[in-house]
Amino acid sequence: MSALAWGMKSLARHPLRSLLSLAGIAVAAAMLLDMVMLSGGIDQSFAQLLLSRGYQIRLSPKGTLPFDTEASLRGTSAILASLRRDPAIDAAGAVLGASLYGRSGDTLITLVGYGIQPQAQALYQVTAGNDLESGDTLGVLLSEPAAQLLKAGLGDSISLLGRLDPQVAVAGIARRLVVRGMVRFVYDYRGQPSVGTVLATMQRLARGDAEDRASLIVVKVRDDRAVERVAAGLRQRFPRLEIFSVADLVAHFRERLVYFRQLSYILGSMSLVVAVLLIATLLTITVNERLGEIATLRAIGVSRATIVRQVFAEGAVLTLLGATLGILLGLVTAHYLDAILTSFPGLPASFSFFVPRANTLSRAGVILALTGSVAGLYPAWLAARAPIAATLRAEAT
Amino acid sequence: MSEPILVARELQKDYPMNGETVHALRGVSLRIDRGEYVAIVGPSGCGKSTLLQLLGGIDVASSGSVELLGTRLDTLSDRELTHLRLTRLGFVFQRFHLLPVLSARENVELPMAEAGLRPAERRLRARELLEYVGLGSRVEHRATQLSGGEMQRVAIARALANRPAVLLADEPTGELDAGTGQEIVELFRRVNRDGSTLVVVTHDDHLAREASRVVHLLDGRIRSD
Repeated sequence: MSALAWGMKSLARHPLRSLLSLAGIAVAAAMLLDMVMLSGGIDQSFAQLLLSRGYQIRLSPKGTLPFDTEASLRGTSAILASLRRDPAIDAAGAVLGASLYGRSGDTLITLVGYGIQPQAQALYQVTAGNDLESGDTLGVLLSEPAAQLLKAGLGDSISLLGRLDPQVAVAGIARRLVVRGMVRFVYDYRGQPSVGTVLATMQRLARGDAEDRASLIVVKVRDDRAVERVAAGLRQRFPRLEIFSVADLVAHFRERLVYFRQLSYILGSMSLVVAVLLIATLLTITVNERLGEIATLRAIGVSRATIVRQVFAEGAVLTLLGATLGILLGLVTAHYLDAILTSFPGLPASFSFFVPRANTLSRAGVILALTGSVAGLYPAWLAARAPIAATLRAEAT
Repeated sequence: MSEPILVARELQKDYPMNGETVHALRGVSLRIDRGEYVAIVGPSGCGKSTLLQLLGGIDVASSGSVELLGTRLDTLSDRELTHLRLTRLGFVFQRFHLLPVLSARENVELPMAEAGLRPAERRLRARELLEYVGLGSRVEHRATQLSGGEMQRVAIARALANRPAVLLADEPTGELDAGTGQEIVELFRRVNRDGSTLVVVTHDDHLAREASRVVHLLDGRIRSD
């Protein structure tokens, strides 16, 4: 009989006890998996988000990353022209963020506006209709929440107003635009009403046209391996700008989340300790209950190694089944926890805290297998050291 | 002259108990030859089971020695002793001690698997042995589905699995009613008749009467042989 079959049969002796233990191990394993996913998932999700459109470098005014609608670059066209002349750069595009109003009947609705260059944008994906053409100063793109608030669909005209500036008390500029497409802005939080126009239109609405302003420039480098070298070159060419590669941004992000990661390690470790204690307790109880049986097996010539193997097999089956259930449970709970966490204000809806990856799952699996082995050590030692004659005498009385 | 299988010389066994020393055996010498059927009898606490455990190499004497087929057991390592118990000795216990999660066949196969017999070979021999002890129709029943008498038959089949030189039994009818005990007595008679050497510790007069030789123990010494 294989060791695993032996383990299964042993567990079947006390089905309810085994099931309860399995449930406990599954919960601990689920927690461990979630913590492992959480500890590395945020970084990865952030990197995926930044690279979702393939742009590896960001240029922005000093101290404004990740994004700031108040500070802006000036002379954007000149910077872009300079970037596009660089043979290592495949594409470069500017983004201007601005607060806008949209009119729905008599109501003004606050919107987030993006001025983009459709030929080089890292902000959205078209979900319906068409993208804007480069010179389409009369077109607009809407996010789903914006479309709902404005009660507008493809081909409809909407009225956008630049925000009134309270400091200069100048009325905002109004433009009437036609909805060309529905888009999903990848950095928007859940329910964020956003609109996109070509850069020139947004510059006018935000009164930034005279200074050719933009909030951010995104750069796509031809060769991924050259990103850091190109970023270093850009830092020298544009010393007054902030220049970050995605790797830099992830590193900054990781630094900020160090406490979060430490917490996940602590909780993960605690769940491991719980799993070890649970398995060790169950196996110790089982071994103590079966000392007579173990002594008999030893008496009829079964080696210590076989006895130890049987105890470990039982632990392995418990761990294997518990881990399998735990991984399923962990994936389900991660899904729900992710939905709760990403609904926090200010977080991009496409951001994920829990990212299931093959190496995360295998890492959790390896940790759990080690856990099962460690947990089996004491009961296995107990079983191997059982005194044959004394145990049989005690059994007989 | 008959060939000695088991030879015990001046066996003494002391146990510490509640701060005092209990002398379970006080210099027991015994020779058991091939094909013998020896019953060890005596009142409770006289040292019968202790003697059987020393003869079977599952306990160590305080002094004296046991030889099995010319090998002194006290010279063997734990691993060697375990292998010797597996291949040269068969044990039957009062409380059967079958593994409840295994079938009758799997219980009988257990020592053969430990000895490294191929699965097909051990399956065949387990079936033959279960037929031999009269359980041909209960081969795939779990131990928990068997009666006390049937469990003891399975235990006897398990003890015979690796063709031992000696079969040692400790109160094999102690947990059985009179009728079932008698069946086991008859089975032992048949096992001995078919060539196995038997050493049985018992309180059961019927079982003792079947033996070719009866050793009486009293207070850790042989009173008569």
